[in-house]
Amino acid sequence: MSPNRKINLRVWLKIPDAEAATVKNTLVRRLGYKNILADVKKERLFSIEIDSGDPEELAKSFAKELVNENKESYKALIDELLFEDEYVPVKVALHIEDGEAISVRERLRSRLGFGNVVDVKKATIWKLYFDTLRPEAEVAAREIAERLLINPHKDSYEILSRPII
Amino acid sequence: MKIIGLSDPEVEVSLRAAGIGMSVPEARTIAGVLGRDPTLTELFCYDAMWSEHCSYKSSRSTLREFLPTDGPNVVMGPVEDSGIVAIDDKWCVVISHESHNHPSQVLPNEGAATGIGGIVRDVNCMGATVVATADPLRFGNPYGPKANKVRWVAEGVVDGIWQYGNALGVPNMGGDIVFNDSFDDNCLVNVVSIGIVRRDQIIRSRAPPLAGEKGYDIILIGKPTDSSGLGGVTFASEALREEDEETNRGAVQIPDPFLKNVLFKANDDLFKLVREAGVEIGFKDLGGGGFTCATSEMGSAGGFGMEINLDDMHKAADFPAEVLSIAETQERFLIISPPELREKILKIYNEDWDLPNVYEGARASVVGKINTGDRFRVSYKGEMACDVPIKHLTEGIRYNRLELPRTIKVSEPDFAEPADYNDVLLKILRSPNIASREHVYRYYDTEVMGNTVIRPGEADAGLIAPVRGEMFGVALAVDSNPFYGRLSPYWGGATAAAEAMRNVAAIGAVPSTLTDCLNYGNPEKPEAFWEFREGVKGLAESCKNLYLKGFEDQQQPVPIVSGNVSFYNESPDGSVDPSPVVACVGIMKDISKAITMDLKKAGDKLFLIGPRFDELGGSEYYQTILGVTGANVPIVRFDLERNMIYAVIDAIDEGILAAAHDISNGGLAASLCEMALVRPARFGFDVDLAGEGVQGSEGGMRTDKILFSESSGFVLEAKAGSEARLIELLKKYDLEPMQIGTVTGKRRIVISRSGESVADLDLDEARNAWMSGLVEAMR
Amino acid sequence: MKIAVMQFPGTNCEFETLVAVKAVDMEGEIFRWNRSAGELSDFDGFVIPGGFSYQDRIRAGVIASKEPVMSALKEEADKGKPILGICNGFQILVESGLLPGRSISCDKESEKGSNMGVGSGSNKASSNVDMALAQNVMISKGKIVRRGYYCDWVNLRHESPSKRCSGSFAIERGALLKIPIAHGEGNLVTTTPGLIKKLNDDQQVIFRYCDKNGRIINEFPFNVNGSTESIAAICNEQGNVLGMMPHPERAFFAWQLPAFDPRKQRADEAGPGRRVFESMKRYIEVNA
Repeated sequence: MSPNRKINLRVWLKIPDAEAATVKNTLVRRLGYKNILADVKKERLFSIEIDSGDPEELAKSFAKELVNENKESYKALIDELLFEDEYVPVKVALHIEDGEAISVRERLRSRLGFGNVVDVKKATIWKLYFDTLRPEAEVAAREIAERLLINPHKDSYEILSRPII
Repeated sequence: MKIIGLSDPEVEVSLRAAGIGMSVPEARTIAGVLGRDPTLTELFCYDAMWSEHCSYKSSRSTLREFLPTDGPNVVMGPVEDSGIVAIDDKWCVVISHESHNHPSQVLPNEGAATGIGGIVRDVNCMGATVVATADPLRFGNPYGPKANKVRWVAEGVVDGIWQYGNALGVPNMGGDIVFNDSFDDNCLVNVVSIGIVRRDQIIRSRAPPLAGEKGYDIILIGKPTDSSGLGGVTFASEALREEDEETNRGAVQIPDPFLKNVLFKANDDLFKLVREAGVEIGFKDLGGGGFTCATSEMGSAGGFGMEINLDDMHKAADFPAEVLSIAETQERFLIISPPELREKILKIYNEDWDLPNVYEGARASVVGKINTGDRFRVSYKGEMACDVPIKHLTEGIRYNRLELPRTIKVSEPDFAEPADYNDVLLKILRSPNIASREHVYRYYDTEVMGNTVIRPGEADAGLIAPVRGEMFGVALAVDSNPFYGRLSPYWGGATAAAEAMRNVAAIGAVPSTLTDCLNYGNPEKPEAFWEFREGVKGLAESCKNLYLKGFEDQQQPVPIVSGNVSFYNESPDGSVDPSPVVACVGIMKDISKAITMDLKKAGDKLFLIGPRFDELGGSEYYQTILGVTGANVPIVRFDLERNMIYAVIDAIDEGILAAAHDISNGGLAASLCEMALVRPARFGFDVDLAGEGVQGSEGGMRTDKILFSESSGFVLEAKAGSEARLIELLKKYDLEPMQIGTVTGKRRIVISRSGESVADLDLDEARNAWMSGLVEAMR
Repeated sequence: MKIAVMQFPGTNCEFETLVAVKAVDMEGEIFRWNRSAGELSDFDGFVIPGGFSYQDRIRAGVIASKEPVMSALKEEADKGKPILGICNGFQILVESGLLPGRSISCDKESEKGSNMGVGSGSNKASSNVDMALAQNVMISKGKIVRRGYYCDWVNLRHESPSKRCSGSFAIERGALLKIPIAHGEGNLVTTTPGLIKKLNDDQQVIFRYCDKNGRIINEFPFNVNGSTESIAAICNEQGNVLGMMPHPERAFFAWQLPAFDPRKQRADEAGPGRRVFESMKRYIEVNA
């Protein structure tokens, strides 16, 4: 029996992301990151675990359901999660039961008939662009996560700095 | 762009290459009027202004021919963004009705949200406080071959509605939802909004008198102009093909309820400033046709010209003039105001309400001036982008489309009476078109503003009390049955208007005005255009024959003060069922008299008004149980209909009714069950169909036809001791009072005929079916 | 007696809330977020009304909690002035650490949430946040039956004795109030050890969702959002700051009640929500 595979769908808006703009505005005007923060962008991340099937093909099918290409673009990564170098990616996910992830799983399984879907996890990736060098940027990113991006009673975060398997 | 001297095919090629949808003769007309080749910007401006959406080029003559738009209560008919009718000497209702069908099929969430965003701007720009919205929705068959897509669209649309409306803070009064396979590839997302304004505080969407002489400012406020929505107007005028969805993306606008919420409050300060200064301004929202439409229409309506400089416009990026001119960026308004108010107005938006920090790049900017000329002039980067006669641009063109009756092949089914009525009833109650709408309504904030008296699902219409300290209420209901429209476009139109009025009457409110959103196929196809004309005729006949109550001796029609036409609702598989969606506003003098549909007390007597006819064409029964549409569509018997509506209003006003519910989808059976099943669902009923009128106009109708005929009517619960008075009142209106049964304390639905049992159902079992039908269809 | 009804960009219940404030004979005005925060000290009490401040971006209430006006409001709270946070107002109070209050976070300072990173330690503004109002999950018989935004009328049971808290000062223990909710994030969760016990022990739980007879049934539809122990409202230790998910201003008059409530027909009567505003007034009178 082959081991389960994981399909990571990175999804981002092609249209202006007002939420990211508000986050940037708050960090710059209210929380004092004016001098080091250059920009904020956001992605949604779906991590879908499957126990069979061709991951490349399934990624396309899942994207058809989860991504609206009229407003969004996506990238599918199989068994890996890579990010570009120019920002610090902060992954925020619920550590309490995620009703939306469960409903995505159920929709893929029952409504769309993908019985090979074992699990779905969902997260937000905040892409923080800094005018400062990496080690300092990561410290600031942690601070930003704790001060604004998460409420530790429901969310957890991770700084994703190198390829995550 | 070169047009003069080129052949028709050459012009065609260059128009399409530039993304301009207009016809070659249209382009030649423009060049002829200008006496030169038009600029690219000019062509884009004309293209937007002469589109079906902005100019009503195919529909206007039909609308003018048939629809009554004036009446003793009309303050403003369909000339600006919204219509206005009087409630009393002081207060008015502002209403607008639009469609957002095509964008919602492609981007359900943003499409539906933008629908609300646009309609509330239409109402607000009249100086009104927006107090309610409602969404009539038509989706494809949730159990058909395209079920996945249909459910995806339905879910996205509902999400878009609540995410926008709830955040904006305007209560949703519900609307209605119908599933039908003609909407598989083309959903209908209509939206209605109402507002309240004092008669002496109405603001017009035109350059005010002397605006040209005094050089009034043109001020653009809101979101920075971008390219999103480019071509949205022409998009709405083309049939949707699946493979085009990607390329159509640019047509979808991006709404922002958060910015809108702040803009509305800033607008209130603007209105206050204007009142205190004692001056008149022009105010208009930017919708279809974008900046060009709003500016040119306001100037033209005031009889002025204007000079605009796009360099002064706040924009998201350095777009070319043709994009800035017609992009449909959301959350924008336009002000035409005297120069002495300029600084105060800019301060309201840019400082007091801090738009630049609420949304990146949002603000108020002075972009031009009104003059006494007759040209619409736009310059950008030192060049003249557009210089055209303003009236020529705004008056648009007219087409007289051909009409050809569609051959509709129909027949009545021949079938045996069902053996098990309990089973039939449960199937009907579970049908996605009959089942409780609660699953969807719970997503809508029905309570915000604290004005809600009757909320969606509690009665046939919603009711709000929008002004504290006043006793009056405003009722709103929407209606249209696509199955009737399929069988007879004419009766589809007539029944939609009649039922919307009936719905409002069922809570005790007096129908005051109607609006229509006319959703049809491609008007260039004679059969689709015929459907449209038939629908309008039917609609008009109902308005003209169900007179305005209080003026019935003068036979005043119920006026249609606002509306919208949405053509090209079709896919390669055909057009949608003719869908003239009608909204009715009713006025309730005293909200404490309004009643709902839930059964109130064991022992109360139940009355039916409206005899049953053998007209089950398009009925829920035929479709759900037999899988056929049938032929005999329900018709409106105008005198009977009027008498029923008036009698119910009078009875409620006298306080002799405990509950009322109109008869429509699912017939008498569904209406009775709904009265028992809606919360608190404490009572059952015991009904016998033996009475004369009950058995059909000719007597001896089959039991299934009596129960499920969708002939118009009402079920009434009389308050104990008021039965005699009710009978007297009904007779005064030439109505046959049919006492059909009793509200019971046992939790059972009991139907018999001349003492012989027909159905006997447990209330909870029935309620489970009724509550789960929509949940399952949208899962 | 003057009440400031706070207004953030995206707030949408300020007008009906002001109506309620005035209807119990308090003076009131709407206080826009960018007004000088110093002016807050002129007021005797505060209401943070419902709505979608900053469109609930990131999560409900968090961006408004970073506004300078909130720091000023904390100072006013420290003076013992009453603050009533309704719905989004409750969410803002939680995100700014005003609820459940600072005393607990001091106890907790030594602990680290399982996911808290190294951080600089000096700048942990969120470390005084002791709970979250998370996304609704409607659970029945162990299964999620619905999630997301939900608007309906609910029954509330008043859990604390009267006079414990400003916003329920004049409401007796065990009183049942029918009031509507309308929110997407009202599910009270916490990882702070002992917080729920402390809230119970100190009578800081003010309202719980219940059935029409006052029974607490920790299942949808009675527990409408999955909130821990069906908690609908809590106050701080001092009792002057109250946060509640339901909207009392929407149940202020009897005519606002749902069709099936018999009180609806008596249109002139007060609705159950009025008691919350009367309580606030009484609290100010007693503490003046």
